[in-house]
Amino acid sequence: MDSVVLQSVSKVFRHRPALFNWLGKERAGETRALDDVSLSVAKGKIFALLGPNGSGKTTVLKLVSTMLLPNAGEIQVEGASTENDPETVRRHVGFAVANERSFFPRLSARENLDFFAALDNVPRAERPARVDAMLQRVGLSEAADTLVMKFSSGMYQRLGIARALIKEPSVILLDEPTRSLDPASAAHFWGLVRKLPGHGATVMLATHSFSEAVAVGDEVAVLHRGRLAGFRKVAGAGADDLRAFYFATTGEVDEAEYLIPRSRQ
Amino acid sequence: MNGNGLLDKAAAVARRDLLTAIRYRSGFLITAIGTGAELAAFYYLAKALGPSFRPEGLEYFPFVLVGTGFYSFLISGSGQFLSTVQQAQQTGTLEVLVTTATPAPMLLFLSAMSAFGGPTLQLFFYLGAGLLWFGSALHPNVAACVVVFLLSLIVAIAFGLIAAALQLAIQKGSALVWLLSSFSWFMTGALFPVSTLPKPFWWAGQLIPLTHSLNAMRRALLEGAGFRALGNEIGILVLFCAVLLPVSLVVFSFALRRARMAGTLSFY
Repeated sequence: MDSVVLQSVSKVFRHRPALFNWLGKERAGETRALDDVSLSVAKGKIFALLGPNGSGKTTVLKLVSTMLLPNAGEIQVEGASTENDPETVRRHVGFAVANERSFFPRLSARENLDFFAALDNVPRAERPARVDAMLQRVGLSEAADTLVMKFSSGMYQRLGIARALIKEPSVILLDEPTRSLDPASAAHFWGLVRKLPGHGATVMLATHSFSEAVAVGDEVAVLHRGRLAGFRKVAGAGADDLRAFYFATTGEVDEAEYLIPRSRQ
Repeated sequence: MNGNGLLDKAAAVARRDLLTAIRYRSGFLITAIGTGAELAAFYYLAKALGPSFRPEGLEYFPFVLVGTGFYSFLISGSGQFLSTVQQAQQTGTLEVLVTTATPAPMLLFLSAMSAFGGPTLQLFFYLGAGLLWFGSALHPNVAACVVVFLLSLIVAIAFGLIAAALQLAIQKGSALVWLLSSFSWFMTGALFPVSTLPKPFWWAGQLIPLTHSLNAMRRALLEGAGFRALGNEIGILVLFCAVLLPVSLVVFSFALRRARMAGTLSFY
């Protein structure tokens, strides 16, 4: 059974310049963020979305989370439509957004998690234990009572991951989750992600890292300029295979091939 | 969602706001000093005008005290809906909040009701301190006061929802609150009786619900007027509620959907 299904989804962002814009340079126009994208993610799988900046990875995740609505096509999460039944979808989805600034700055990590858990229907009696467990899983136990305005980028990122997981969602959306993490924290985090399907969760992950996609992904889709450029299963592939697949499907030039190692200079 | 779930969420929202307010320690003190200074200014203004100035048959100090106190409460209450959305946009929490299992209109409502806590405390402090400290006559009809208070609250909520919708749609919800507060300040009789206004302004003032709220609250609180005496004002307020509340809910839902379509939820 598929947990997430996108059928011919298109998303267009229209830009309208402000009134009295003759002083500025802003022009009207539109950006086609997604163009007729169809894909499905099987239950209990880790699905990686690869693509350059602006390819539509985050837009896919935002559409699945109901943060955005599509201009065309349909998205279903656990059988519920994001457009017609968004409340059911939201009960199933946990989203670790890429934006670090998404917490209440004058609340502690514990207070922030408790607040979002309450909004996500986690029963009051279970919340303290669940918050503690989650803070421990992401390595923030010692900073649990620190106001998040004092957090570093990496700490925000870990708290964002904890927030996405605290309601034990069946679909987890991760937008570049290790972008600000140090290597040890990233390795710890990927260990955590690999265990999620064992608990019945489906994971959609937007990343730029071939090695991370290979390390945790079951399937990979490549997005390029809003279109689905390629799709493959990961089993048996290495990071170099994925890199070759990525550049073959997007048609971009792999400039890393032309880099001369310092030792040879 | 059952009642317990709703109460739990309301408690979580109130706790968030209380903790945030406590951590801005100086805010309480500054507000209290400002309120005290305002009270003193109105007291000495009333003294300067002398006992012969009796707008609508009332002493001027209680007249202006109830007028400005209730006016500030309703305007800042409407403004709380706007601030709730603005703060969520500025802290980057709005996009995440709308993807939680709590529907956005309910979340906005809970947040704004929690934020009403501050203006309510301020209103009681303002009226209590003014009437007790400076000593003025009070003959309240409690039932009428409660009804007028609730109807006025619903009107304030409706304006607040429309301001929040404008903030989502054009990032300028403050324009509505500014417009409402500016026109209300001189057309609703907060400071002086509306009977002194020229006819066109008087008529315009009658179209603002606040005019009826202030008049009814003054009469219920200071003269002990009951439902029969306030029938006209209460009827007008009921009519405003019946029209404005559903309209504001539709406008807010439309603005939210439009922002999700345009990807502008976090724009401010």
